[in-house]
Amino acid sequence: MKHLKSFNKKAKMLDQATSQNEVEEVVAMQSVVGCTSTNDPGWEVDPFGGLGSLCQPMESDLYGCADACWWPAQVPDTMSQYPEWSKDVAKANEDWRKLDGIFPEEQK
Amino acid sequence: MNNNKSKRALLSGSALALMGAMLTPAVSSAADGETLIQEKCLLCHTQTGDPEAPFSRISQQRKTPEGWQMTINRMQRLNGLVISHEETQAVIKYLSDTQGLAPSETAPHRYVLEQKPNVVEDVDPAYAEMCARCHSNARFGLQRRTLGEWQLHVNTHMAINPTTELHALARDRSWYDIAYNDVAPKLATDYAFNDPAWANWQKMAKPDLTGSWSVAGFMPGKGDYSATLTVTETAKDNFSLTLQGHYVDGKKLQGSGSAKVFAGYEWRASLAVDGVKMRQVMAASEDGSAMTGRMYQSAHDEIGGEVTAVAGKAVVALSPAAIKQGQLQKITIIGSGLKGSVSLGDGVQVVKVLSRDADRVVVLARASATASVGLRNVAVGSAKANAQLAVYDAVASIQVTPNESIARVGGNGGKLPKVKSSYRALAFSAGKDGQPGTEDDMRLGYMPAQWSLQPFDEVAEHDKDLQFAGSIDSSGVFTPGDAGLNHERKFSTNNVGNLKVVAKVMDGDNAVESDAHLLVTVPTFIKRAIQ
Repeated sequence: MKHLKSFNKKAKMLDQATSQNEVEEVVAMQSVVGCTSTNDPGWEVDPFGGLGSLCQPMESDLYGCADACWWPAQVPDTMSQYPEWSKDVAKANEDWRKLDGIFPEEQK
Repeated sequence: MNNNKSKRALLSGSALALMGAMLTPAVSSAADGETLIQEKCLLCHTQTGDPEAPFSRISQQRKTPEGWQMTINRMQRLNGLVISHEETQAVIKYLSDTQGLAPSETAPHRYVLEQKPNVVEDVDPAYAEMCARCHSNARFGLQRRTLGEWQLHVNTHMAINPTTELHALARDRSWYDIAYNDVAPKLATDYAFNDPAWANWQKMAKPDLTGSWSVAGFMPGKGDYSATLTVTETAKDNFSLTLQGHYVDGKKLQGSGSAKVFAGYEWRASLAVDGVKMRQVMAASEDGSAMTGRMYQSAHDEIGGEVTAVAGKAVVALSPAAIKQGQLQKITIIGSGLKGSVSLGDGVQVVKVLSRDADRVVVLARASATASVGLRNVAVGSAKANAQLAVYDAVASIQVTPNESIARVGGNGGKLPKVKSSYRALAFSAGKDGQPGTEDDMRLGYMPAQWSLQPFDEVAEHDKDLQFAGSIDSSGVFTPGDAGLNHERKFSTNNVGNLKVVAKVMDGDNAVESDAHLLVTVPTFIKRAIQ
């Protein structure tokens, strides 16, 4: 990382906010059960325990990440497990109301 | 796809042939889990010839009912398994009973079975970096596999989620080698298939759960409750139940439903309480004297609370569980068989018995101004006490529980509901050293609080998270904002927010405050029985 230069405004802000040691300390941070924070970016929580480094609004670039199962425990991937999930929702930022959840568990 | 179709045709054909050949109703009976495994699973899995482990892969794993449920769901989703609801239930029951987990093996991770929200796990770094960065520690901590099965589990992850190797904490190291050669052997040791706990539990007599139980619990928005749970066996390990009692404010609570027990102690009930569908997930103690767990709304599993059921005559809980020196206060003693005189211990006088029901006694009590600070045993007639009353001088500190929490935006015409979060204020007195936050602090139980929200940091203040992310009501239940893009926010961001939940408990004229962290975040599109 030390050979890389921050390119955009957000990356520069991140550089200023934390030293590299601090970044490495928080990468494996535990979050609330059911959340993922350590992927880059996380889904619910960013690696710093906040929201600032998440993709927001999440609908804008949802498929770019989710299709390739970037958050396999939180968002259906169309590459492998749920090919039909977003079939009728071409633009998530416009038709997000049509996106359903995967709740296949049957009640005992 | 063609292969799958042929496989399914083969499956149906061979199942029909088998049924035709044997011509016995038992073959298609949903009750026979083992036969169903032979019918449904052996089209891909094979018979090993070993009577101790008859089926390939299946016989080398042990799981909870929820774990087996997830396996069957995955087989349906990805491997073309066709199985009815009744057949699924029979297979789950059979596998949970014959290849389940012992009480001691589920004890560390019961929160996830109970769907308890806002749990932060303490995870071994080797697992935090490898497994628990996507899902809970409990998901694998509630499985037992042979080494070969843990290694195949790594391969299954690679097949289903191939980008796992490209995530942070994976792409910068030899992820697969570490997973297969280091972590799988560690899993095989920490979560061993042949752990003697299961063999020992299988030999033990299982508790009888029929009869009458005294129940104490908490429900967000409604408060503490007491009830009598009456359980009748309708078939082996199947029960009907009624729940009758009171909320602490005197309102009646009434429910009925059914329950199943897995592995001799895993209680799973579906019931309607005052018209709301609820679930109970409890574990019976090995001696059958108590069941503990959580009851929650079926449609909103985050709305629920702990529940304890005790068999026989007993004092189960107090509400509230503390009285201040010199104070006159109503106290509800929760339990059953509570006949006879009420004793609240030295220095605490029962001024009046206000009411008596099957599930509780409500008294007006006064602690003398000189009553010594400390815990008192409570007795009602000969009923044994499982709860103690704390006499205190002052509330020195409070903790807001949960300390770390999330809520999820939802609704607004979308298909995913809002996920709320709820909070309670746990009070402590300072103990002999007069210093709050030290080991001799005395727990006073949960106390009513005034609830409010604040931005967590400068960024949250700048982004006006408080304005958009949601609101908290007087009982400590937070309701998040609407799902979707919000064009009033910068970049049309969602109604997410980084907030502090602030509780203020009044102790006389003295206000005691504390706060907890709340992230209001995006919905989850996948929900499993074990997150």
